[in-house]
Amino acid sequence: MSEDSLPVLKILIIGPSGAGKSAHCDDQFDPESTTATIGIDFKPFHHAAVSNSHSKAGQERFRTLSTSYYRGAHAVILVYDITSRKSFLSMEKWIDEARSSASPDAVLYLVGSKLDKVATGGRAVSFEEGKAFAESQGAGFCEVSSKTRENVRQPFVEVVDRIVQRPELLASTAPASSTAGLNLGGLGSNYSSACPC
Amino acid sequence: MESLGDEPWDVVICGTGLQQSLLALALSRSNKRILHVDPNDYYGEHEAAFSLQEADSWAATHAGRSTEEDSSVEKRQPIFKNASVWKHPDAADLGLLSPHAYSLALAPQIIHTRSKILEQLVSSQAYRQVVFLAVGSFFVFDAEATDSSPKLARIPSSREDVFATKAIPVKSKRYLMKFLKFVIDHDSEEQKPVWQGQEQKLLSEFLASEFKLDENLQKYILALTLSLDGLITVADGLATIHRHLTSMGVFGPGFCAVYPKWGGSSEIAQVACRAGAVGGGIYMLDTEANVSNSPDGHEISLELSNGISVRTTKLVTSQQDALPDAQTITRLIAVVNSPLKPLFETVVEGAPTPAVAVVVFPGQITENSPIYAFVHSSETGECLIGQSVIYLTTLACRQSAQRLESALDDLLAAATPEGSPAPVSLYKLQYEQTVSAREPLITTREETRTFAFPSPSLSLTFDDGCLGPVKDAWKLVMGDTALETEYMVFQDREGVGDDDDVYDL
Ligand SMILES: Nc1nc2c(ncn2[C@@H]2O[C@H](COP(=O)(O)OP(=O)(O)OP(=O)(O)O)[C@@H](O)[C@H]2O)c(=O)[nH]1
Ligand SMILES: [Mg+2]
Repeated sequence: MSEDSLPVLKILIIGPSGAGKSAHCDDQFDPESTTATIGIDFKPFHHAAVSNSHSKAGQERFRTLSTSYYRGAHAVILVYDITSRKSFLSMEKWIDEARSSASPDAVLYLVGSKLDKVATGGRAVSFEEGKAFAESQGAGFCEVSSKTRENVRQPFVEVVDRIVQRPELLASTAPASSTAGLNLGGLGSNYSSACPC
Repeated sequence: MESLGDEPWDVVICGTGLQQSLLALALSRSNKRILHVDPNDYYGEHEAAFSLQEADSWAATHAGRSTEEDSSVEKRQPIFKNASVWKHPDAADLGLLSPHAYSLALAPQIIHTRSKILEQLVSSQAYRQVVFLAVGSFFVFDAEATDSSPKLARIPSSREDVFATKAIPVKSKRYLMKFLKFVIDHDSEEQKPVWQGQEQKLLSEFLASEFKLDENLQKYILALTLSLDGLITVADGLATIHRHLTSMGVFGPGFCAVYPKWGGSSEIAQVACRAGAVGGGIYMLDTEANVSNSPDGHEISLELSNGISVRTTKLVTSQQDALPDAQTITRLIAVVNSPLKPLFETVVEGAPTPAVAVVVFPGQITENSPIYAFVHSSETGECLIGQSVIYLTTLACRQSAQRLESALDDLLAAATPEGSPAPVSLYKLQYEQTVSAREPLITTREETRTFAFPSPSLSLTFDDGCLGPVKDAWKLVMGDTALETEYMVFQDREGVGDDDDVYDL
C-alpha cells in the first residue's frame, strides 16, 4: 500500500483522570504535570489520528462521554494506572461504554500505565491480572511507562495491526466514497459573499 | 478535586436539547463555571437519537395517552406522547442485528445550506466534529400514476432539469420557468406588485391564478415548501421556495440542504456539549435538578438527584409542557431491509451522492394534510449497510397513524424496481409530538434569572428561529461582558490541525 492510500485511523484514548493518558500521548514526559487536560488533543499518528479523550475531562469525570465522541473510531485504548486498584476496577465500566458506543468491530486495547513505579514498590495491579482481564474482554494488553518510554509504541503498533486485520472496520469508514462528509469550512467564506441578507 | 457543591456556579444548564447545548458551545470560551445536567441518561432531550434499546425504553416512558375524560382539570401535557414500537417477528433473521448500530433521530430536520446554524458551527469550529451529508432529490408520489409513468416523480431542481424532464408538457414548462424566475427576485421592487395584496392568500391558488400552473405543478411547488398542513400562504410560500432555490449550490452542486450524519440535530447537540466540556464545563447525565427552596432572590438552590446540592444565580432549562391545542404531528420511523437505491441517484454532474431523499405525498387540501417522508440511506450511520431509515410525518388526526403506515407501504412499493422482492420494515417507532409555548420563559428575581427555552419547532427543515433564544440566554449569562461580535466566533484550540506531531510507525 502506498502512503496515500493508507486510510486515516481514528484511535481514542480514554480512562479515568490521572491514569496517564496525556503523558502517554506526549513525546516529552513532564513529571510535574498534574493538571487535568482541557483542550482538544488530536494528534496525527502517521495516518492515525489519535484523539486523547481527557480533553473532555468535564465529561469523563462522571463518565458522560457522548456516543458522538466514539463515531468512526477504529480503536479505543483504555488506560488505567497500575498503582491504583480503583482505576483498574473502573475499566469494566469504561469497556462497557466503549462497546456500546463505538462500532461493534472497533479494536479495544487495555494499557496499564506508570510501569516505572514498580521499582519503588508502587504496583497495585499485577501484570497477570491486567492481562487476564484484557483477554476476558477480547482486548489487547500491555504495560507502559511514559517516564522511561518503555513499551510506549507497543499499544499503537498492535492496535494498527489489529485494525488492518479487520477489513470490514476500514471499509465502513473509508473516506473514498463520494458520500463522505461535505466540506463546509473551506467554503465558509461563501456565506459573507453570497448571503443575501 | 473540589466538590461540586462548594462554590456557586455561574450558570446551571438543565437538559441537553439543541438549544441548551448550543448555549454551552457559546459559553465554552467564557471561563464561566458551568454545570450542565440532564435528567435523561442520553444527550439531546427532544432532539435525541436512539439505539434500538434506547428507542424501546423511550417509547415505554412516552406511551402515555391523553385521557379525554378528565379534561376538566388543567392537566399538564407532555411534548411527546402515544409512543409505541413494533418489531418484525423475524427481525434478526432479516438483518436487524446489533441494536447499538442504529441511531434513530427524534429531530431528523434537514438544514438548508443558508441556515444561520451552519454559519455558527463554522465560526465556532464545532463543524469539524460533525459530518455533513447532502440532501438529494425531492419526489412527489402520484397515487394515480398509471403503469406507463412512475409513481415517484422527481421534482426538477434546476433550469436544465426542467428542460430535460419528460414528465412535464412543454407548455407547462414555460409557465414553471416563469414562476421560478419570478421567485428568485420576488422581493424586488419590480416583482413585488405581482403578489402584493395577496400575501395571505393560499399559495396554490396564487400559482394557478398568476402563473397558470396546473394541478401537477402546484403539487411540485407545494411539496418544496414542506408545509405541514399544505395551506401555506403566498408570503411564506414564496420565502420558502426562494430559500430552497438560492440554497442550491452553496456547498457544492446539486443539493440545497445538508444533514448531520448519525442522527441530525442530536449530533450537533452532542458536539456542542463536548465543546462545553473541553471548555471546562462539568457534565452529568441521568441527573435531575430541582429547585430546592424558594429562591431568596440572591441565589437559586438546586437539589440534584444524586444528593448533591448546588447554588447558582442563573438557571437555564427548557419548557416541558405542551401548549394547549397547539399543532401536533404524528411521526413514524421505520428501519427497512433495502437500500432503496433509486432514491439516491445523483442527477447533477459533480454532485455528491445524497444520503437523504425527500418524498412528498400531497394531501387533498380540504381533507388530508400532506405526508412527508425523509428517506435516509445507511450513509447516515443510522442503520446497517443494505438498509434504510424512513421518517414519515403528517399532522396528527384520527387516522394519521394508519395514513403513515399506508404511505410507507406505497413508498416501499414505488421505490423497488419491478421483479425485486418488496422490502419489509424491521422496526418501527411511532409517536406524536407537539410544542410548548413559543417564547422563552424568563423569570427575574433580584439577582437571579431563570430562562426556559421553548420546545423545538415541528418544522421539517431546521428553523433558524431557535437560534435567537440561544443568544438571549448567552447574553443573560454573560451580562455586561457580552461582546456580540464575539458570539460563537472562536479560534481552533491548540493542537488541532497541528501537523508537526507525526509519529513514525
Ligand atoms: N511515574 C510516572 N508518572 C506518570 C506516568 N504517566 C503519567 N504520570 C503522571 O501521572 C499524572 C497524571 O498523568 P496525565 O497524563 O496527566 O493523566 P490523564 O490520564 O491525562 O488525566 P486527565 O487529563 O485528568 O484525564 C501526571 O502527574 C503524570 O506526570 C508514568 O508513566 N510514570
Ligand atoms: Mg490528561
